[in-house]
Amino acid sequence: MRLLEVKNLKKIYTTRFGGNQVQALSNVSFSVEQGEYVAIMGESGSGKTTLLNILASLDKPTSGEVFLDGKNIVTIKDSEISAFRRDNLGFVFQDFNLLDTFSIQDNIFLPLVLAQKNYQEMNSRLQSLSGRLEIEEILQKFPYEVSGGQKQRAAVARALITKPKLVLADEPTGALDSKAAMNLLKIFAAINHLGQTILMVTHSVAAASHANRVLFIKDGEIYNQIYRGSMSNDDMYQKISFTLSVLASGGEDLE
Amino acid sequence: MNKFFYPKLALVNLKKNGNTYIPYILTCIGSIMAFYTMVSIHSNKGLDQMPGSINLKMILFLGIIVIGIFAVIFLFYTNSFLIKRRKKELGLYSILGLEKKHIARVLFYETIFVTVISLSLGLIGGILIGKLLFLLLLNVVHFKSPLSFHIDYWGLLITTGVFLAIFGLTLLTNFLQVKLSNPIDLLKGGQHGEKEPKSSWIVTLIGIVSLGTGYGIALSVETPLEALLLFFVAVVFVIIGTYALFISGSITLLKQLKKNKKFYYQSRNFISVSGMIYRMKQNAVGLANICILSTMVLVTLSTTVSLYIGQEGMRRDFYPLDVSIVGEAANTDFAAVKAIVESEKDKLKVRSNNEISFDLAHFRAFQESNHFLKDMVADESTDAMYYERISNITLIPLDDYNRLTSGSKSLAENEVLIFSVGDNYGEPTIVFGDEQYLITEQLESIPMDFKKTQDMGHTYYLIVKDAGVMDGIYQTMRNDDDPVTTLHALMFNLDGDEDTLNTFSANMRAAVLQNNPDINIQNLYEALTELYFFFGGFLFLGVFLGSLFMMATVLIIYFKQISEGYEDSERFEIMQKVGMDKTEVKKTIGKQILMVFFLPLAGAIVHVAFAFPVITKMLAAFRLTNITLIFLCTLVGVVVYALVYTGVYLLTARSYYKMIH
Ligand SMILES: Nc1ncnc2c1ncn2[C@@H]1O[C@H](COP(=O)(O)OP(=O)(O)OP(=O)(O)O)[C@@H](O)[C@H]1O
Ligand SMILES: [Mg+2]
Repeated sequence: MRLLEVKNLKKIYTTRFGGNQVQALSNVSFSVEQGEYVAIMGESGSGKTTLLNILASLDKPTSGEVFLDGKNIVTIKDSEISAFRRDNLGFVFQDFNLLDTFSIQDNIFLPLVLAQKNYQEMNSRLQSLSGRLEIEEILQKFPYEVSGGQKQRAAVARALITKPKLVLADEPTGALDSKAAMNLLKIFAAINHLGQTILMVTHSVAAASHANRVLFIKDGEIYNQIYRGSMSNDDMYQKISFTLSVLASGGEDLE
Repeated sequence: MNKFFYPKLALVNLKKNGNTYIPYILTCIGSIMAFYTMVSIHSNKGLDQMPGSINLKMILFLGIIVIGIFAVIFLFYTNSFLIKRRKKELGLYSILGLEKKHIARVLFYETIFVTVISLSLGLIGGILIGKLLFLLLLNVVHFKSPLSFHIDYWGLLITTGVFLAIFGLTLLTNFLQVKLSNPIDLLKGGQHGEKEPKSSWIVTLIGIVSLGTGYGIALSVETPLEALLLFFVAVVFVIIGTYALFISGSITLLKQLKKNKKFYYQSRNFISVSGMIYRMKQNAVGLANICILSTMVLVTLSTTVSLYIGQEGMRRDFYPLDVSIVGEAANTDFAAVKAIVESEKDKLKVRSNNEISFDLAHFRAFQESNHFLKDMVADESTDAMYYERISNITLIPLDDYNRLTSGSKSLAENEVLIFSVGDNYGEPTIVFGDEQYLITEQLESIPMDFKKTQDMGHTYYLIVKDAGVMDGIYQTMRNDDDPVTTLHALMFNLDGDEDTLNTFSANMRAAVLQNNPDINIQNLYEALTELYFFFGGFLFLGVFLGSLFMMATVLIIYFKQISEGYEDSERFEIMQKVGMDKTEVKKTIGKQILMVFFLPLAGAIVHVAFAFPVITKMLAAFRLTNITLIFLCTLVGVVVYALVYTGVYLLTARSYYKMIH
């Protein structure tokens, strides 16, 4: 089943003063199947965050369409967009984005409280997540009292607790050391095994090698993609590294 | 490295942090101006020549002390706020390779710049505004003849010294901060804002108890004397209570709310309760400061304004008639005195009315129900009730009373009429020594005095059968330092414009005293000058300090808004990302900000309400008993202050909203 469909996405930023225009996305089309784990890679400035922000309905494209589960999110009214985001999407950010006013537990509860779920329900959902994410110990602590890896696992819990259709992650391992990053990638793989669809932007080859598929973006366009097929993580790793080096040398078409 | 590197970097830093450093420098300038102005007015030579200047100088000196203490506390507070906000920047420098001693050097140059700018502008401003304020002071104390006002070099020197010391100390604490911290701490420093106060039931309890005690004292004070003695005790309790409750009480309460899961996990409460906990943790001390400062502004302004406006009314209490001339009947030629007065009146064409003259005897005695004792019980002097029982007693022969009232009352040897200035005398008889006298009538009025509220002790006028009886009682009751014989009084009111009457009063005093050095002259117009000096000085200081505290409040609010805005802008973004509506986020945050900023004002108003009874009692000690007037002054003060406060809030809120967009 096709969960996400992106068609001819284009994004032009106009700087506030004067007509200086930046074309962040020129023409992006791809689709994601239910249960897939897709990594997006590309050089700095190639438009990855821009793409993710549009998918997250945090930003509007200049033109093009995005269908999530058959619904065009580009045309959703402003007044409904928050609720839509809350109900359908989960986010994991590079810098965690936890609120320092809340304990870890309350940070995780936040989307559910906003959706007006009752406490029992929230608690039971948290029970089933906290074990898997190894965050039981820190639930009552505040974000500034825990480590980066713990923060990111809490952010994952917050993304998953609404049972979203799609989890979007922008460089989730970017601020973590290699051990914590490894740990997080295992968690992503595990939840993907349970059927969670994940779209992850990353610079890390190791991170991308866990995915089912890797999309490469160059200059605002999809440049290439690698399917895992029956490859092992190591094979994936080598293939990704190779593609990236070609990409970096500005190389000719790979296909 | 270029030798201008550090000064340049320091200058760049100040510019970059302009939105906090400019207000800080303005505060420094303001404090320096205030301090110098006070010092230079206090040391003005011209003031010494004025009558009553001793009181005024004392008040001004008090002002210098208060401003000095205030400047130390406040500049330290703002400096610590600034340096905390800059820790991240300083940490960055050290990561980029500046050693601690280099950072210290940058801080040193920054302080130098701040000091030079503040001192030069502050002193120039002080010199300019000092003259203006001096004229204002002369105006409120009703002093007419012009006095010159020069630049006070000593004042400049003292001010420079005091503030150099303050700046030096702030620099030292900044050095210490940098020295004691490692780069990681510095990088994290700005994130948690002020030190987290621990919330605990014990502190909350202490807060409730001391606030309750303070309020209790305020409400239970009964006499002006108690009020004067206990006011500062109450103030200390209220201050302790305010800090404890802001720091701990608020958080304890909010945490209690948080424990109620059903209430807490409602989308609206969820965000406001945790938001408020966080804000209170960060701002408790600052908010308590605002609350205390606001209370101080309100109390200072309302009391000084009440006193100033009310002095017209209160002077009558001291002087039932404008002039009273009292001397020993036996060795004073009152006909001659009267002739001198008349001739002085003629010289200036002053007219008088209500002229009365009579014999009298006056003494103080200690009242025990209907017994009046000569010896005061000395060892009870700590008891406030002791002062309640001291009575001022004036004896007047019936002849004089009948003549003055055109009455024809008669009395037997052991009978008296009584007039009590305060509450009526409740006993049927009155006993002096071994003699008991029967009260035949409680008089409602008397020519030489009138009914008024008595703040301590009693004042009785007794009409006795004749001079013989009067002298008999007097000789039994008089103390060793009282005059040997009974007295005679001449009293009258004056008509004319104030200036003429002032001149007349001075002339008359000189002329009368020339021939009768022992005579006692009390003159409303002479006293008035002193009163004006006293209350005018108070008013001046009140308004002066009021404005200074107000400035401090404004600055704290501004700093708070900026730091809130800085952090809220991040929070604002995250909340939207997790799926909260933009307008909803704005609404909840706006509500919290409003609550945080108006909590101190509400606290201050409650404090003032509870202080009101004490204030009225205290002012009664200055013979200001017009409670309606005091109430109006306080009310106007509160309303005006609330308006100014709201205005400041709205202005600073703008920079806040700019930051979160
Ligand atoms: N708000 C904005 N206004 C103007 N230009 C923008 C804005 N955001 C991004 N850009 C530009 O769009 C282009 C793509 O930016 P984007 O953040 O999507 O890159 P990225 O692939 O996420 O890079 P990185 O890997 O460094 O995070 C860049 O040239 C960037 O300068
Ligand atoms: Mg990016």
